Amino acid sequence: MKTYLKTAMLGAALGLGTMVAMPAANAEDTIYAPNLSYRTGPFAATGIPLMNGQRDYIMMLNERDGGINGVKIEYDECETGYSTEKGVECYEKTKSKAVVTQPWSTGITLQVLPKTNVDKIPILAPGYGFSPMANGKVFQWAFNPPASYWDGASMMLNYVSDGDLDTLKGKKIALLHLDHPFGKEPIPLFEAMADKHGFEFLPIPVGLKEMQNQSAQWLQIRREKPDYVLMWGWGAMNAGAITEAVKTRYPMDQFIGIWWSGHDGDLKTVGDKGKGYKSISWSVPVADAPVMADIKKYVVDPGNSLMEDPADINSVFYQRGILISMILAEGIRGAQEHFDTKNVNAEQLRWGLENLKIDDDRIAELGMTGMIAPFSTSCADHTGHAGGWILEWDGSKFAPASDKLTADADAIAVLEEVKAMEYAEANKPWPINEECNM
Amino acid sequence: MEFLNNVFVAPFQDMAAAPDFFMQVVWEGLVSGVLYALIALGFVLIYKSSRIFNFAQGIMVVFAALTLVGLHEMGVPALLAVPLTLGVMFLLAVAIERVVLRPLVNQPDIILFMATIGITLFLIGFGEMIFGGENKVMITEQLGIPTGSFEFEPFGGFLLIEQKDLTAVVGAGVLVLVLLLFLNRSKMGRAIRALGDDHQAALSVGISLSTIWVLVWFIAGIIALATGIVWGARAGVSFALEVIAYKALPVLMLGGLESVTGAIVGGLAIGVLEKLFEIYWGQPLLGGNTETWFAFVFALIVLLFRPQGLFGEKIIERV
Repeated sequence: MKTYLKTAMLGAALGLGTMVAMPAANAEDTIYAPNLSYRTGPFAATGIPLMNGQRDYIMMLNERDGGINGVKIEYDECETGYSTEKGVECYEKTKSKAVVTQPWSTGITLQVLPKTNVDKIPILAPGYGFSPMANGKVFQWAFNPPASYWDGASMMLNYVSDGDLDTLKGKKIALLHLDHPFGKEPIPLFEAMADKHGFEFLPIPVGLKEMQNQSAQWLQIRREKPDYVLMWGWGAMNAGAITEAVKTRYPMDQFIGIWWSGHDGDLKTVGDKGKGYKSISWSVPVADAPVMADIKKYVVDPGNSLMEDPADINSVFYQRGILISMILAEGIRGAQEHFDTKNVNAEQLRWGLENLKIDDDRIAELGMTGMIAPFSTSCADHTGHAGGWILEWDGSKFAPASDKLTADADAIAVLEEVKAMEYAEANKPWPINEECNM
Repeated sequence: MEFLNNVFVAPFQDMAAAPDFFMQVVWEGLVSGVLYALIALGFVLIYKSSRIFNFAQGIMVVFAALTLVGLHEMGVPALLAVPLTLGVMFLLAVAIERVVLRPLVNQPDIILFMATIGITLFLIGFGEMIFGGENKVMITEQLGIPTGSFEFEPFGGFLLIEQKDLTAVVGAGVLVLVLLLFLNRSKMGRAIRALGDDHQAALSVGISLSTIWVLVWFIAGIIALATGIVWGARAGVSFALEVIAYKALPVLMLGGLESVTGAIVGGLAIGVLEKLFEIYWGQPLLGGNTETWFAFVFALIVLLFRPQGLFGEKIIERV
């Protein structure tokens, strides 16, 4: 009986392993790109569609093109459950042959940030992580394209002020945020903007254990009557907040979430009651984009996707996962061409990520027109500061509800410089890229 | 002087200035308290009968709620899905007794506690394998739970009571009442209490340990389903529901691990007090989010004066 149980458990474990990892043809013919994923735990609902999108884009490249320039990508997930400790374990476990690390939480990013200087592995954290990572001179190994949390915060303020932040003078803006490094990330920018433009900034933290019972936070919102509520929520916090907003009768058109708070799965919990809720997003789902047709043809239709519901193919997070893998793939492609080699290593990929040129033409070639704004990176700018759009929940799906928005680049650059240098000073000796003259 | 005013005067002035808001705070605290009490009850029942601190209570809430929603998604009518879910929870109770608890009879308490951590990990993996990790919508309306709200204007203000919260409070109250009647008046209920009082004596008069263990784990499963429905109706059903079980820990510290009354009174007290503290002291003076620690600090203060908790038994062990 015991032997049977052990065999069954081993079989199940192996089965699960092969479901998520993709087959490696031959180690020498592949580029190993691990993903520190979270398909389990309290934040799984957010992670699953993102990881599915990331995995399916790589799988499509492998099936359609035989990989990138003939080299297959070995996509491998290491499950963290969004736990910082497990994330660090996953980093250590995968780093020996990885060309990149995708830490998938601001907490994990902050932990592995100093390690990557030593291990010389680029961190790719698209749309998350530590906003000052944009400063490539200080954070040589960290990349967070196409937009940082500070970009998101700035675009939100631009949207609510119609581009004139001085009109916010005397107004009250609340930030409902997860009490976690991710949720606290935009606070320095909001504080700086509040000082500069004269609005009142009110941070309202939500503890991990209170994500599904935010009555105290929404009672505070009822009492304080902020003009706008901006949200930095993740996982179950989003549905909890929107439920309470409906209950409190807070006007949905004054409630805007960051891009991780714009998940179809969370909004389905409230359905019609969430109509009008908005989210800033650096990605837009485009159902008829050519890349989606290829993903359907090469991955979904043959039954190789892990998506439970085929309708999720048009969800915001699934398509954002695709864009995240596209950024990685473009970095690899650029490095291959620059170094004239097929099997790029981590240092070469660092160059690739530092020289991304995702312009309109390239976006069209990739079959992604309308899904992402053009951007480019450099040795000084590891973010690219692409713009974004406001997406609005119409009761059943998110749809674009604004023209393209851009962040206040000047204000952000000053803060990035200050905070990056503060970080380097606090963690000295910290290597600075003196060769970068931009 | 200003500090003293902020701590001892201003909060009460705020309460008096906006009595409708104060009533809303108390109501929200009461709803939270009822939910905490429900989770704590699951812990107490199992501890009372077997001296096991059931670490798996949180994941049982998730598992029960996911089973209910999963069955409905498979086409089972909501009202049939409830008894079927209870059937699954019964089978789970039988499996836990047979596979985990029975082989560990007479082992130290810590071994049994570790076994419940094992049950937690198994249920997380098993649940994710069957139901996936994505958010699911609780079948609130299909279960006949009203989703509207009552609005009042006390003192010219505004008080909103959601019908599903009211249903939760009433439903939890009825569940607790039935449970108390069962424990105090039925033969099986008395057997559970007898086991809690003295294992050896209970066994010597023919009470079956395995039957009682299955029964209490099944009752804990019923409570888990009720908790899952109520919490799931608020913010969806996902594995994040598991973390709410930790809210029951200070309730148990306060009320005592063996006391059903303690779980109820402790849950309600913590629910209301943590909400009042957060709104009138935490947010204005401490930047908010005091709910994460207030209940523990409050329970610790109580324990300084009553180490066995408010309603726990004072155990004197002679050596």
